[in-house]
Amino acid sequence: MTTMPAGRRRPLRPARVVLHLFLGTVAVGWLFPILWAALTSLRSYEYTATHGYVSLGGWTLDNYVTAWRTAEFGKHFLNSVYITVPAVLLTLFLASCVAFVIARFSWKFNIALLGLFTAANLLPQQALLIPLFRMFTEIPLPAWMSDSELLYDSYWGLILVNVAFQCGFCVFVLSNYMKALPHELYEAAMVDGASVWRQYWQVTMPLCRPALAALATLEVTWIYNEFFWATVLMRTGDKFPVTSSLNNLRGEFFTDNNLVSAGSVLVAIPTLVIFFLLQKQFVRGLTLGASKG
Amino acid sequence: MSRPRSQAEYLARLVPPSVAGLNRRSLLAGAAGAGALLGTGLLAGCGSDSDSGAGSKVVSLGSNQSDPKPKDVIAKVMDGFKTSSGVTVTINTVDHNTFQENINNYLQGKPDDVFTWFAGYRMRFFAAKGLAGDLSDVWGKLSGYSDAFKKASTGDDGKQYFVPASYYPWAVFYRKSVWQQHGYQVPKTLDDLNTLGAQMKKDGLVPIAFADKDGWPAMGTFDILNLRINGYQFHIDLMAGKEAWTSDKVKKVFDAWAGLLPIHQPDALGRTWQEAAQSLQQKKSGMYLLGLFVAQQFNNDEQDDLDFFTFPEIDSTIGAKALDAPIDGYMMARKPKSETNAKKLLEYLGSKDAADITVKNDPSTLVANTGADTGGYTALQKKAAELVGSATEIAQFLDRDTRPDFASTVIIPALQQFIKNPKDVSGLLTSIENQKKSIFTS
Repeated sequence: MTTMPAGRRRPLRPARVVLHLFLGTVAVGWLFPILWAALTSLRSYEYTATHGYVSLGGWTLDNYVTAWRTAEFGKHFLNSVYITVPAVLLTLFLASCVAFVIARFSWKFNIALLGLFTAANLLPQQALLIPLFRMFTEIPLPAWMSDSELLYDSYWGLILVNVAFQCGFCVFVLSNYMKALPHELYEAAMVDGASVWRQYWQVTMPLCRPALAALATLEVTWIYNEFFWATVLMRTGDKFPVTSSLNNLRGEFFTDNNLVSAGSVLVAIPTLVIFFLLQKQFVRGLTLGASKG
Repeated sequence: MSRPRSQAEYLARLVPPSVAGLNRRSLLAGAAGAGALLGTGLLAGCGSDSDSGAGSKVVSLGSNQSDPKPKDVIAKVMDGFKTSSGVTVTINTVDHNTFQENINNYLQGKPDDVFTWFAGYRMRFFAAKGLAGDLSDVWGKLSGYSDAFKKASTGDDGKQYFVPASYYPWAVFYRKSVWQQHGYQVPKTLDDLNTLGAQMKKDGLVPIAFADKDGWPAMGTFDILNLRINGYQFHIDLMAGKEAWTSDKVKKVFDAWAGLLPIHQPDALGRTWQEAAQSLQQKKSGMYLLGLFVAQQFNNDEQDDLDFFTFPEIDSTIGAKALDAPIDGYMMARKPKSETNAKKLLEYLGSKDAADITVKNDPSTLVANTGADTGGYTALQKKAAELVGSATEIAQFLDRDTRPDFASTVIIPALQQFIKNPKDVSGLLTSIENQKKSIFTS
């Protein structure tokens, strides 16, 4: 009782050793592919072709230069911005509108509406591919909006698809968050004569800032990482976002894995930056809406 | 004009010519979608994709040539077209694999006026579906193509839908230095090949390099054995789903292959073709049956050491004149913005001028136009051109000669299973035949 070391040694129970072994293994399991890709991207193909990947040497930065140039990442990063930024803003705006109504007004279809938006999350996106593709090729856009003159092969179409698929999750999270806001605030606002719009824009939205920040971080990562729809609903290679343009590094007969690794690392950088900068929001985002106030 | 009698007729009258020909349901879905999503009506902005191109000076090209070298060559050829015709080409490059996987969507959406594609069944498939434009009149102005190339550009209805640009043959490659060192001779028959393989094994070499991790390289082996044992016509009919896979003829092919497996590199399923090619390059293997692109795995100073022969004869009544030589080229969309410009471009792409530019800028391709100046060819290219020129029939490689879904979902796993377990051929063929029936009737 008086000896401190005894107290410190207590954690060395087998259960604890097992736990740490497990945690260590999982951490290595997650980090290994990323580190392996980073390592591979720094080595020349000639070296790894002759010595195999389980070797050291052939260090070079050429892969990054070549990847940036051949896949034209500069242009495609911009395309990703064109798609991601409006899509995230629009998603958050629309989702917060729906969430506000669901959380603040008791209305007959409240549960049904929330159910509808949440259920959309369960729908496999691929199942909607053909109907969506058909629809998009039938919907005209004026030439100033897209040179394809259709929703197909336009940024508008991709933004819409992303907004539609991301709204469900955001509505779910935001409505739970809004339900937790004290009801008295709204009574006070009503007494002061605030309109519904004002209650939404000037009372609810400022209070939801943490939730919105967390969702924005998550959504940016998700929409940025999305490449399926871009590949299917786009026809012009120059308009592909960066994730889809990664395919440019695959050769017709021959794929230089080191080059592809370098490209993948480049594409992953923005998500990593966002994660490290906004880590706090990110983690909070995972537990948002987990508890109902 | 009579009054519409039903809602359907009323709606049908609203359809502008540019979207006519669709059924009512998709139209209504489109209208509802447009209305809901954009707040604009169905009619807004329509009708602008009619042929405004008679006087315009632009034509668009969808290209799958995303590798740096071929991409550069395409740009140079299009510059040449601009100089000769004054029409500008906008090039839309999509990476090779995505382009191929999306072709169905691409063609049914709003394709570019002219696009890169492959000869053979893959071309005939889309031509038969009405997704490609008839190029018979362009062919009337082309010269320098052998009959085998014209045959490979012709659809089921006898019209041409394709302009060939380049090709590469499949053959058995080897290093001259290795063969000189051991005094090997090019085999003329299957027995010669087996004897040679046994000798190579004695000399510590892997006789035939082999890899099938990606699924498609083994198709080359199947193709050439089928062509040698059963001949071109049977092969093409088999690919088109007209012959039964359970027939004795096909069984003979797999039996012959099983006989050759002992002189093939073992554990092929875990190896990529690059690794197999490197074993040839590193003088660990004696031969490798692959396309001409195998040369990409050799250093520049080793190119002269690379040589090939066509797969030896198996049945003397069939001979050894047919081979796989996939042809790449161009097709026209069913409704190009400007048909005149698109056809002008295709005529140029099939001309000697375009071929000359290609040869000058990419010494690794073989151009389809025989009129082209091939002075820049390497010895290997010259030999490859001669081989294909003397071929009586040209197959396009299994995945181009049959339905893509059949090739990828049925044949790839089947061939891999055969390589893993060459014993149960009849069970395997029955399973292929059953799956073939369901795919080809769909």
